[in-house]
Amino acid sequence: MAKHTADLLQGTLDMLILKALSLGPLHGYGIIQRIVQMSGEMLTVEQGSLYPALYRIEQKGWVSSKWDTHDTGRRAKFYALTRTGRRQLEVEEASWDRLVLAVTKMRQAT
Amino acid sequence: MKWGKVFSARWQALRNRDQVIEDIDEEFRVHVELATQANVERGMAEADAKKAALRSFGNVGGVRDEAYEFRGGGMIESLWQDLRYAMRGLAKQRAFTIVAVITLALGIGSNTAIFSVVNELLLRPMPYLDAERLVMLWEVTPEGRHQNTTSRINFSGWREQTTSFESMAAFTDQRLNLTGVGEAEEITVQFGTPSLFHVLGVQPIVGRDMRDEDGLKDAPPIAILSHSFWQRRFGGDPNLIGKPILLNGVPFTVVGVMPAGFQWHVKQRSGTGRPAELWSALDMPITSEGAGRGRFLSVVARLKPGVTSQQAEADLKTVENRLGLDSPKFNKGYSAEVIPLRNQMVGNVRLALWIILGAVGFVLLIACANVANLMLSRSAAREKEIAVRAALGAGRWRIVRQLLTESFLLATIGGLLGLVLAAWGIKALVAISPRDLLNLQHVGLNLTVLGWTLGISFVTAIIFGLAPALEATRLNLNGALKEGKGAEGQSPRSGRLRKALVITEVALALILLASAGLLLKSFSQLQKINSGFNPDNVLTLVLRLPETKYKEDRDYVSFFNRATGQIRTLPGVTSVGMVNFLPLYGGLGSGTGFTIEGRPEPAPGEQPSTNVRVSDADYFTTMQIPLLRGRNFSALEMTEPRHVVLVNEAMARKHFPGEDAIGKRITVPMSDKPAATEIIGIVGDVRYDSLVDQAEPTVYFPEPELTYPFMTFVIRTRGDPLAIAPAVQREVHAIDNEQPVSDMRSMNQVMGETVARARFNTLLLALFGGLATLLAAVGIFGVMNYSLALRTREIGLRMALGAQNRQVLLLLLRQGLVLTSIGTVIGIAGALVLTRLLSSLLFGVNAADPTIFAGIVVLLMSVSLIACYLPARRATRIDPMIALRSE
Repeated sequence: MAKHTADLLQGTLDMLILKALSLGPLHGYGIIQRIVQMSGEMLTVEQGSLYPALYRIEQKGWVSSKWDTHDTGRRAKFYALTRTGRRQLEVEEASWDRLVLAVTKMRQAT
Repeated sequence: MKWGKVFSARWQALRNRDQVIEDIDEEFRVHVELATQANVERGMAEADAKKAALRSFGNVGGVRDEAYEFRGGGMIESLWQDLRYAMRGLAKQRAFTIVAVITLALGIGSNTAIFSVVNELLLRPMPYLDAERLVMLWEVTPEGRHQNTTSRINFSGWREQTTSFESMAAFTDQRLNLTGVGEAEEITVQFGTPSLFHVLGVQPIVGRDMRDEDGLKDAPPIAILSHSFWQRRFGGDPNLIGKPILLNGVPFTVVGVMPAGFQWHVKQRSGTGRPAELWSALDMPITSEGAGRGRFLSVVARLKPGVTSQQAEADLKTVENRLGLDSPKFNKGYSAEVIPLRNQMVGNVRLALWIILGAVGFVLLIACANVANLMLSRSAAREKEIAVRAALGAGRWRIVRQLLTESFLLATIGGLLGLVLAAWGIKALVAISPRDLLNLQHVGLNLTVLGWTLGISFVTAIIFGLAPALEATRLNLNGALKEGKGAEGQSPRSGRLRKALVITEVALALILLASAGLLLKSFSQLQKINSGFNPDNVLTLVLRLPETKYKEDRDYVSFFNRATGQIRTLPGVTSVGMVNFLPLYGGLGSGTGFTIEGRPEPAPGEQPSTNVRVSDADYFTTMQIPLLRGRNFSALEMTEPRHVVLVNEAMARKHFPGEDAIGKRITVPMSDKPAATEIIGIVGDVRYDSLVDQAEPTVYFPEPELTYPFMTFVIRTRGDPLAIAPAVQREVHAIDNEQPVSDMRSMNQVMGETVARARFNTLLLALFGGLATLLAAVGIFGVMNYSLALRTREIGLRMALGAQNRQVLLLLLRQGLVLTSIGTVIGIAGALVLTRLLSSLLFGVNAADPTIFAGIVVLLMSVSLIACYLPARRATRIDPMIALRSE
């Protein structure tokens, strides 16, 4: 049971990262800022746990990374969505929508 | 996901480990800096801003470890760590490693060697097209003799009337003299119906196949050469096609050459006992009653798709029965059988091979038990180390994995060494194998065999590694970590496992030893059989005279008599005789039905039958076959036909019971104009067909009475019979320079080949039985030694309290003997079941022979007694003071 919940959250984090990157390349801290900002500050991510998730989806080939110079002049590692990452985002959004719809329907049925 | 890519990324990461970690750290640092700056911009003090940033980042170390799982070497990295750790561990404990590796190498090596033979003979596809559909067709005689050859007429009947076969071919082997190119040589020629190669699905690589017209009567003789013969005699000359070669003085036109490696040799009922070097067409003159009735053809056929050999056999039997009704005079009482080619080729070697493979499997299991035992002792000694690792947070699975890595490493090294042993063992196997084990020269380490070795090495690793690894990690941390517990921290479970392993080893060793013992006894019974003659110091050779050079019977007779006379004058020769077919030479003899003068014509199918041999008078003296009654052939009878014969005791007993055979007249139809002959003497029985079968009735014709174009000379010598071979050859060439001398062997060599198979089986099982016993002894020794180490303090205490040496010794011996006894009882039960499989390989021994079993039990008990005694004796030398003070 516990494992199920973890999977769900992990999957959700993946989608959030992909969504954040869909507007353009960002470094790790920027991704967190973007998620907070895009969700109207309703979602916060434990900052450290971003990285394992980020590396995992990088390994899956959904994002690519390279060191680049930040507009403040500081070097940082920037992540960008790959083509498969973009497709994955669509898949995840669609299945998320289905889940939301299903849950909503169930709630209305009572 | 692309595993290859991930793997290579992991591999890269593994090689640039520091850089990967550096990269992650740098990224985290940048993150914290950015967060700090954002906090400062929000109005926090510099120091607080950094603290807050770190806090919101979370546990840096934990996150980094988790991140490293993805960026670093992952599984590969931990595997690599385990491997290095295992190597260090094994290198540190050299004695353990050496014993374990040698034990495993013996087990794996013997398995690999035997498997390579099994693979070659039983598993590998035969080199004929769709060979699983090939079958041999044989007749069964009214006396119940199986796999008997058939006649031309019956073969035609089979071919025309059966419906189960797609195609069918008959063949027979002969030895012919090749002359005209280089030295004269006797070669094996196989005459086959033109369909032969078509049935086998193999075509000549050079020239053409046989055609139907080649098989017509009076067609010009053709020859198709084997590839090796073509190379050996003609240097692979492609222009040979269309040219004649002389066989027995007759020109045979070479029309083709078979592919390299092609061989078609069915040992059963082979007229020559050796593979053909040349093929020619068999003509099928089916003319009158009587002609074409001689039974000398072997038949191979191809089943129609979907037809089983049982269905085909029913079909063939129906036809054979019909043939019996059509011509009862020749076929009454005959039946037929269908034998799949694979069974035919491998024969009863099949069972022996599976049994031997089973035996080496047992040896490997014992080896596993031994190594498992060693691992247990070792992991007990490492309990503290494992506990420390567990306490530092390594999961149980992680530790098991690490211990298993050690097992796999051991098995791999053992497997590699085993391959070396196997390569050597295969050579030894081929050297001691009987010549008639088919195609053993191709046995070697091929891919299938390597795969097998890899497979058994890994299975082995799991068998001997898993139980100890699970056992080692089932520990009580607190207990193990406390000082002063020493090896006594061992759990009762691991003690039980250890005992179970010893019991298993003893039981397996007993089963192997019992099998080996039974075969040994059977072998010695076989050696004790009275063959009817004395094979020591006898040289044998075959002279086959070309029919083109010698026309009349008396030409042959005078040549042979002259040759024996010449050889007799050689120094070192005590006597010289001749016979057409040697006893036990592994090929066909002749035999026929016969009539006894003054007795009513027997009913069809009930005619008495006899083996027929042609010899001279000195054959009996040379072979030391006793003349029981009457007289031997006279000098006159050895120069012209006088219508006399000798018979053996079996003939006298079977066909002349209660009366005197001497003076009786019999007609044995061996020629066109059979004459009645008088029995002048009775000689001792000789086993001609096989050592294990009783001698059959036999008639001996003197050479002038029934002339054969070839004779086997038997020459009794004072010293080593082979030493005189060159001199004998010179004498023959002095008479005729072109005359080949073939098959020069000592009589013991000839016989050796018939006993060779029994010796081979016995030797192998005895070898593996011995190996098993040795390994089991090492196992018992190891366990006793270990349990002694555990009980040092207890023994010291007992001795301090006044126990005598003898009492201590008994205490320890009893422990070992209890285990051995339990193993023995289980082993006997298993052996009684399993040795029944051996029954068909045994001669003159019951599979449950009580003396063998008793002997084996005594042997095993003594061995285990010694294995227990050595450590126990050391125990009695323990100084109680030192023992008590030890940990």
